[in-house]
Amino acid sequence: MQHPPLASQHSLDVLARRARLVGSSLVGPALLLVVAINILPAIYGFYLSLHEVFFFGNEGFAGLKNYTELLRDSFAWQAIGRSLLFTFASLAIAVPLALLAAMGVRRLGRWGSVLLTVLLVPWAMSPIVVALLWKWILVPSPGGLVGAIFTAFGMPPQDLLTDPVLAMPTLIIVAVWRNFAFATIILIGGLGQIPRDLYKAASVDGLDAWESFCKITLPLLAPSLLIVISMLTISYFNEVQLIIGLTGGGPIRQTSTLAYSLYHTGFVELNQGKGNAIAVIMFLINMGLIAVYIRILGKQAGAAA
Amino acid sequence: MKILSRTLLLLACLLAAIVALGPILWAVSTSFKSTNRIFAVPPEIVPQIPTTQHYSKLAAEGVQWAFLNSTGYAVLAVLIALILGSIAGYALTRYPVAGKPAILLVFLGAMAVPGFAVLLPTQMLATGLGLYNTWAILPIIYAGHILPFAVWVTRSHFATIPRELEQAAEIDGYSRAEAVWKIVLPGAKPALLAAATFGFLHCWNDYVTGSTMVDSPNLRTLQVALIFFQGFHGRDWGALMAGVVIATIPPVLIFLLFRKFLIGGFADGSIKG
Repeated sequence: MQHPPLASQHSLDVLARRARLVGSSLVGPALLLVVAINILPAIYGFYLSLHEVFFFGNEGFAGLKNYTELLRDSFAWQAIGRSLLFTFASLAIAVPLALLAAMGVRRLGRWGSVLLTVLLVPWAMSPIVVALLWKWILVPSPGGLVGAIFTAFGMPPQDLLTDPVLAMPTLIIVAVWRNFAFATIILIGGLGQIPRDLYKAASVDGLDAWESFCKITLPLLAPSLLIVISMLTISYFNEVQLIIGLTGGGPIRQTSTLAYSLYHTGFVELNQGKGNAIAVIMFLINMGLIAVYIRILGKQAGAAA
Repeated sequence: MKILSRTLLLLACLLAAIVALGPILWAVSTSFKSTNRIFAVPPEIVPQIPTTQHYSKLAAEGVQWAFLNSTGYAVLAVLIALILGSIAGYALTRYPVAGKPAILLVFLGAMAVPGFAVLLPTQMLATGLGLYNTWAILPIIYAGHILPFAVWVTRSHFATIPRELEQAAEIDGYSRAEAVWKIVLPGAKPALLAAATFGFLHCWNDYVTGSTMVDSPNLRTLQVALIFFQGFHGRDWGALMAGVVIATIPPVLIFLLFRKFLIGGFADGSIKG
């Protein structure tokens, strides 16, 4: 702010206070909306999780009853197990694929950005639309795309989405198909930060491509991998729209993850107290996983830096 | 050896591109086949006798109104988020703001909250406030989801624009607001476009918020309308794939137009997947 050269201390204070007032009132509206939409419901949800709430009616304080009921319910534990299976299996496929794609894109040069764009198209689509699309791809008929592949191998077309064993792997493949490429972008950035000289020095030292990948690329990529794995974990652990669209948690609850059971308990059964308890548990598991990553990969990132 | 690895790389990339685009192109092809040709064996890759009957059927069911709803909600939410977000982002780089570190933490923390986890209490709050099932509820919620990113990306871009540029404009007789409008905002165009693109995709591609915050058929989003359509005509794959195509064109088009800014925003870590 400009002020007269001989301003008294008092008028400087007034100016500073005015600037602070202007600044705060400019930030105010955005802050208010963000708190109202993201923070306030989270606090209210925690409050509701300690109450018996059915069909929008609060029937009183229940302490930890919703939580103890969940912990005693074997379905809830199975849902946690399915969530972890879905999350880690998707990660185990998506991260190596994203890394391969990132190295491919970098090596392709001019065509690399075309490939990246193509791979990102499914990510730009809505999960529920992706679910509709894949239901048609997977339709168990010789006229369907996957059905035709079964027929070509001399097998009758299988309905992968209603098969208790194959439904979950199918869901995982569709989830990876939709969004692995967004991780590629961050890994491309990470690969670009590794000095080329290191690879030259490694080949002088007689390291082959695989050794220099293990000894140079992976450790130096740790910070980017940490970001990618954390983001994908949150994204897969909270995935619900694909499951609603593809399997509806079935068959016989085989794809009913924690996120899906939150949806079902809260919005279908309208047991909002219990639904919020599931949300709080999900939040804690999310935070726990991220904390573990930061411990493991953060240490490596620190060592590499 | 070099030629061999180059060929393998190209083949792998071609395969990846086919896996990414194949299912989408198959949906496009299906949407133009007459109903009795959809299950033809062997499958017809390109429709022999193309028809637009499935698109007409969607129009007859009024799906275009849901398309307009989705567009309206998304545009409104993006506008709210960009206006409030760039004002806040500007103030956070140029003014002293009481409690600035705490405020930055709120914006950062809000990005980490998965919107789905707080949907249930949001629905109850919206019902209590009389906003449930109104035209305003979805733009407000979506704007709240996009705002933290809008603040974050604009703030980091405004910080790179020297204050002297604005002061020079003010000496030339512009008001401060005019200086911001003419000098600062154009400089932050990549940040604004990244936030707008991410925001549009977020709103347009949402299903759970749309299906839990509004109930009336005339307020439905396109995603919700397609799921209802599926409920009534479960095996009408031609019409369903026509729905997939029209629901995919806007976000993919926006993505293709603005991918440069979106990928830039990703790369500096300011956008989540």
